Amino acid sequence: MNFTLSAEQELLVTTLRDLLARECPPALLRAHWEDRQAQEPLWRHLRSFVELADGPAVDAALAAGELGYAAAPGPLTASLLAGPFLAATGRSDETVTLAAARPDGAWVPHDDPERIQVLDADLVALVIAPAADGTLRAVPPGAAAPDETVDGTRRQFHLTVGPDAEVVGHLDPDRLTAALRRAVVLLAAELCGTTRRICDLTLAHVRTRVQFDVPIGSFQAVQHACVDMSLELERAWSAACWAAMAVDADDPDAARATHVAKAAAGQAARRAVRTGIQLHGGIGYTWEHDLHLFLRRALAAEPLGGNTGWHLDRLGDLLFAAR
Amino acid sequence: MELGWGPEEERFRAEVRAFLERHAPPEARAASRDEVTDTIPEWARRWQATLFDHGWMIPGYPPELGGRNATPTQTLVYLEELAAAGIPRSLHFPGYAIVAPSLLEYGDTAQRALAPAAIRGDDVWCIGMSEPEAGSDLAALRTRAVRDGSSFLVNGQKVWTSYAAAADRCFCYVRTDPEAPKHRGISVLIIDMASPGIEVRPLRQLTGSAEFAEVFFTDVRVPAANLVGRLNDGWRITQGSLAHERAGLWVEGVARLEHTVAELLDLAHRRGLTGDPITRRRLADLHQRAASLRALGYRGFATFMSRQAAPEHSYMKLATSELAKEAFECALDLLGPDAVLVGDGRPDRRFVHGLFVSFAGTIGGGTSEIQRNVIAQRVLALPRGR
Repeated sequence: MNFTLSAEQELLVTTLRDLLARECPPALLRAHWEDRQAQEPLWRHLRSFVELADGPAVDAALAAGELGYAAAPGPLTASLLAGPFLAATGRSDETVTLAAARPDGAWVPHDDPERIQVLDADLVALVIAPAADGTLRAVPPGAAAPDETVDGTRRQFHLTVGPDAEVVGHLDPDRLTAALRRAVVLLAAELCGTTRRICDLTLAHVRTRVQFDVPIGSFQAVQHACVDMSLELERAWSAACWAAMAVDADDPDAARATHVAKAAAGQAARRAVRTGIQLHGGIGYTWEHDLHLFLRRALAAEPLGGNTGWHLDRLGDLLFAAR
Repeated sequence: MELGWGPEEERFRAEVRAFLERHAPPEARAASRDEVTDTIPEWARRWQATLFDHGWMIPGYPPELGGRNATPTQTLVYLEELAAAGIPRSLHFPGYAIVAPSLLEYGDTAQRALAPAAIRGDDVWCIGMSEPEAGSDLAALRTRAVRDGSSFLVNGQKVWTSYAAAADRCFCYVRTDPEAPKHRGISVLIIDMASPGIEVRPLRQLTGSAEFAEVFFTDVRVPAANLVGRLNDGWRITQGSLAHERAGLWVEGVARLEHTVAELLDLAHRRGLTGDPITRRRLADLHQRAASLRALGYRGFATFMSRQAAPEHSYMKLATSELAKEAFECALDLLGPDAVLVGDGRPDRRFVHGLFVSFAGTIGGGTSEIQRNVIAQRVLALPRGR
């Protein structure tokens, strides 16, 4: 497993990180919560990155990590997830979102017309709903109904795929499974990015917050909590990268890697939320502090693509079937 | 980022496999992963010498030090193959893994000349570090060395000394300046274990066996030429040696953990628990955590290749040793009332034994608490406590 980034990948990460640090501050997230149009200037900067939707999963995962770090609003994450689906339609819509999740939250091939966890349907040109046999149908974005979540940075929708929904393309069953797996890996990567933001905010806070005349980060109880939080993040991000590499290589281990990555990302996120809020103390419990913007994004993202328990159970199915 | 290594690394992998296939003795494959012995069997001595003579003992070293000038990536491939086959290089790690690198870095010409025999295993080394009053606070060590003419006189006691009974030499941390601040009064001496005044007493530990020893030094005379590095500068060498210990261990640590988790799957089948949702989820979770740690190890390797240091690896010992304890606890749960039965004809007693051994993993080589302190300060840049 070679984790060395190519020069192009290094450049992608630093470019996107700098751009988001500049164009997507917490003030934008707060503005977007009130007004969905507030992300439009950001989108003008981000739209060129939609080309990653059609490229390697590793590059898209690196981008997703940065988008998660900034808790970026807008249609880019949704469009990255849906890349292989859009490519199979032959259409050239710039923005697209997937209506893939079953009502129980599983992103697997299925024929249930009810779909949930449709991300940012109001910001995209096309909504694609795959069926179990790989038939791709377009659902008018206006047919999607919003579900209010705890997260103000991204909106989720649900919809019903009508019998008369236009067929816009087809994916072979193998490719459908692989494309859904790729989407789950990107969701894991994005969640790791948000988790890293919570970790960074928390580490910065404990380095500077003084109580009893010393920074609280000098207390062993605080240090150990930070180490355990960071360990969960680092192993989760490593697993997300591994899973992206496995997806790109069409490796027989890709399913296992994906379950590992999404479960690890969910655990790391929960740990960071719990530790981050505790170590921030009172200030982190205020609306004014930015921490809650990111912990809300993380909590809302954890069930996307299947939550930790679901992925552990599928991983268990693989492990017990292998013998 | 890509899943595989290049064709050159894969050729190297094939070479490693071919060598192991041809030369590894059956005893090496059968050697228990959790077993440590204080006597070194003849096959293990021959195997280590064979590895050295063919340049496979420490591939990154030049041939005269038992290697073949392998690249770091080739070394990683080599460690993967050993770990996957469950074949140990040596049954006594201090000499090749800690003493030899320290001698090569800090020793004079005569001391550096001791390195090949340490790596080949011709000389067995023990390391005199821990003392009754110096565990995590290693710098509090009290074993005294006083200059007396052309030698030092050593008095004191070491504890938890691995391989002391089998060792030819001890790489021994001693206090040479009791007045100086504790980190600055420590020196390293090479002590011949046959010297008069050394007594080795086996230390029976909670597992019931005696894999470690206490070593008592009473007026042991050590030639002044056996001082490694500068006088009172020995603390630097501890830091170096522990780094050597950590750098290459993650592959084996993860492989060992994965092996334990695989055994749990087997156990679940034997106990008829494959349909139990709690068991399934618990084993999947252990598997998931071990697998993500393997990925973290590889990511650290990439960081090491670009920056010559890998903060990611600081987490590996902490995480794998803590997870091992959980894995063995899980085994006990799967075994139910049989978990604690250790009579003859109870092969599953190895799980409770494994739990005992796993306790040592979060204590030896830096406790989990010390590991967290170090990571907090060096990796996360948190301020030092008072």
